[in-house]
Amino acid sequence: MKAGFRNTPIDRRRFLKWTGWAAAGVTVTASVSLPLVRSSLSALPTLADPEIEDGLVWVQALPDGRIRFYCPRMEMGQGTSLGLSQIVAEELNVEQTEIECVFADTGQVPPFKMTVGSEGIAKFFDPVSFGAARLRETLRSRAAAKTDLPSDSIRSMPGGFLLPDGTALEYSSLVPAGALIVPEDALQETHETLQRNVVERRRGYQAIGSSWRQQDLQAIVTGSMVYSRDVSLAGMGYGLVLKPETLGAQLLSVDSRVARSMPGVVNIVIDLADSFVGIIAETPSSLKEAADAVDVQWRASEDLSQHQINGVLDVDSAGARGDFEHELNLHGDTSAGRKAARHSVSARYDTPFAAHSAMEARAATASVDETKAEIWCGTQDPFFVQRRIAKLLDRAEADVIVHPHRMGGGFGGRLRCQAAEEAASLSALSGRPVHVAWSREAELANNYYQPAFSHSIRAGAARDGKIGYWEHDFVSSPIILGPLAGSMAWVTDRVAADEGTARGSQPPYELPNRQIRYSDIRTGVPTGAWRGLGAAPNAFAIESAMDELARAAEIDPLDFRLLNLPAAQHRLAAVLRRVAAICNWSQSSPPNTGRGLACAVYKDQTAVAVVIEVKLDHQAKEIKATRAWCAQDCGLVINPDQVENQVLGNIAWGCSMALKERISLEDGAIAETNFHSYQLLRNHECPETMVALVNPDGGAPAGVGEAAMVPVAAAVANAVFSASGRRARRLPIQYDAVFPEGDS
Amino acid sequence: MFSCLGWWSFQAKGEPSKSKFWDCTIADSRFKLLPNGNAFNVPEELQSETLLDFIRDFAGLKGTKFGCGIGLCGACTVHIGTEAVRACQVSVAEAADKQVTTIEGLADPSDPEEMHPLQRAWINNAVPQCGYCQPGQIMAASALLKRNPSPTDAEIRKEMSGNLCRCGTYGRIRKAIALVVLESAG
Repeated sequence: MKAGFRNTPIDRRRFLKWTGWAAAGVTVTASVSLPLVRSSLSALPTLADPEIEDGLVWVQALPDGRIRFYCPRMEMGQGTSLGLSQIVAEELNVEQTEIECVFADTGQVPPFKMTVGSEGIAKFFDPVSFGAARLRETLRSRAAAKTDLPSDSIRSMPGGFLLPDGTALEYSSLVPAGALIVPEDALQETHETLQRNVVERRRGYQAIGSSWRQQDLQAIVTGSMVYSRDVSLAGMGYGLVLKPETLGAQLLSVDSRVARSMPGVVNIVIDLADSFVGIIAETPSSLKEAADAVDVQWRASEDLSQHQINGVLDVDSAGARGDFEHELNLHGDTSAGRKAARHSVSARYDTPFAAHSAMEARAATASVDETKAEIWCGTQDPFFVQRRIAKLLDRAEADVIVHPHRMGGGFGGRLRCQAAEEAASLSALSGRPVHVAWSREAELANNYYQPAFSHSIRAGAARDGKIGYWEHDFVSSPIILGPLAGSMAWVTDRVAADEGTARGSQPPYELPNRQIRYSDIRTGVPTGAWRGLGAAPNAFAIESAMDELARAAEIDPLDFRLLNLPAAQHRLAAVLRRVAAICNWSQSSPPNTGRGLACAVYKDQTAVAVVIEVKLDHQAKEIKATRAWCAQDCGLVINPDQVENQVLGNIAWGCSMALKERISLEDGAIAETNFHSYQLLRNHECPETMVALVNPDGGAPAGVGEAAMVPVAAAVANAVFSASGRRARRLPIQYDAVFPEGDS
Repeated sequence: MFSCLGWWSFQAKGEPSKSKFWDCTIADSRFKLLPNGNAFNVPEELQSETLLDFIRDFAGLKGTKFGCGIGLCGACTVHIGTEAVRACQVSVAEAADKQVTTIEGLADPSDPEEMHPLQRAWINNAVPQCGYCQPGQIMAASALLKRNPSPTDAEIRKEMSGNLCRCGTYGRIRKAIALVVLESAG
């Protein structure tokens, strides 16, 4: 039965009882309404930011004195679960071994926001610390009641409390064996008055600032970590849903007679109207053989070619028409600025479509019976998967349980888990558990992509190097609104500038006369979130143009940036100076070697500057990124080693984007089918990288998972220029395009 | 030890299970696969499975990962004898009766708590991010160290170039290998 369009308020205590979440231990609850039943009209990702009170249900004291933390972020290697565990530990004064970090299924905790946008620490720092501090104070008041002492005479100590006479009271002595749910209003403090160690820092930090290691490392390196691809159930079949040969193709006809008679084939389900051909088999190889034996005819939906898309996503033709949908920034008078400029640059920059290419191609297992659907999968939004499958199977959301697994990479590409939807359909149709594991080919051809960007920047500087005008036009496709379809998409594209595509398009520099315009155009290639969204393509254009302008003005690229930064950008200035210091920026490079600088402030929060060294190997016709330096100010650092690891990964990702990756269209389909054609950076191509964290003890914690990749491609292009005097304005940067005549 | 256990699987409700369709306990099979010293009989109908699918889906050793299916990413790296091979490129029949080692058997198959020096170095240096490619990385690195206990940085880069990591842990992988080399030299 469909739930209908209503929003039933259910208090959290009742929710906990329903789910059995509070089977043991102490939980503090708030009577906040939970939108458990949502509109049946649409299934959207879980978009709401956390409220501070949400933290209450994520932290629980267990009868043995340990703390259970229901992590409200999915884990895909970014390490947020570790950082948030450290915040819990800071409030409750416990060791890492005293925290049990759990990735709850959708039946155990209320919905939380999709895991995206490097927000795991930045947006969950407050609610998680609040929940943990509130639990500590609840336990303190239990200690007071038990000892008949005033609360303020009972001090926190590791794993419990210290009484005035020196007696220790461990948490375990304060937690009953059965469930105890403490109403939120049992304590006087509100989130304004509650003392939080992470904020007040009276005793200095114990857990924050330490390099704890992920609890799953041993399981990962010994092969016992269970990713969604590794789940199997008793009596499970292997399922596959055939993929269209071209983007958006419709199923014309199917002949499955041969396949049906093959050994090991359980069932083949065909729904022409839905373009659905599903196969269930007993083994992986019988599944593959049956899939090959099914004869399928597709009708291509439109004749998409790379040439045609290049014509649509073309900033020059949009500029010639004077046709830009969105004016992102207009200030001063750029034509007056142009007249006054002494040095100027006018250039076009292009970046291609790109794929996420997580190492784990998506997979899921589903077990659907008449009353319940259980799904095991890796996703950045288990509640979105739950809603989609509830709609798909026409079930109540509460009857669909999603068990989230650690993902083998996410990078923005796993909001949906199509494999889970396919497994759920096939399990419902066959009445047995079904495992669906996508091939690499399916993974590359059937998701959304980072859209291509086409930029034009015209800018000029006065004799003293101050930028006098800045005109930036670009065309690309919607990212955040990319997955919308039909008339809804038509309207939103015209009304609102897509914030994802526009991310990072406002330069951090002082620009008295500026005009930034763009159009988001759909091309038939599905587009959506990819690490950093528009930030890296936009920074590639902006920071390349900054380098060109600095060279035109004959000013060192570092000095040119510092000269043009407003005082408010002092954090960015600090990371620029720091990266220059650690790489010894002023030293000259040997022949065929060059260094390039670029910087960005990601989401107005994380300031990052990188220097990349490239070597030109004219014999092998290769451009290699050999060394990298990065300085980053991401505010308070919870775990320095995790942050460094994220920065290292970001540098590798940025080099891969700069030098290797491109998705292109051929005969209406994605041309790159596997790692031979969609090439990723490999170990021998990854630069030695040095990381400096600037001011790690100060400010609110800011995002880390995407920031450092943002300026990398521009830094690589700028390094190519300093090594060769050639400008690379199109990604990926390929030797033959930079040196079309052979070596220089 | 325990031979012919058939197919034991991770199960959500904690009980091992065996499928009806195949039976790895049959005694007269011509083929035996020997992952980590345990013998699995390979019935006729499973001989065309890839080594990767067999060790994952029938031997129940899920530590070896699928990445690309064409031998280009290294996620499914196992050892046959002392050599690193891509399990997606070998059929069970080809691997039969040879000594196959997977990540689960790298250190000491009888003691899951025992770890190879590389596995310890991976933990000590917090190499993994998502972790999915890391069993393959460790199997490639351990085969290298068996063949060449003191590789240079260039040799490490070259050998490890066959294993993709999308999270970009390459630098820490090189560092962890170099530290194990240093340790064993000292």
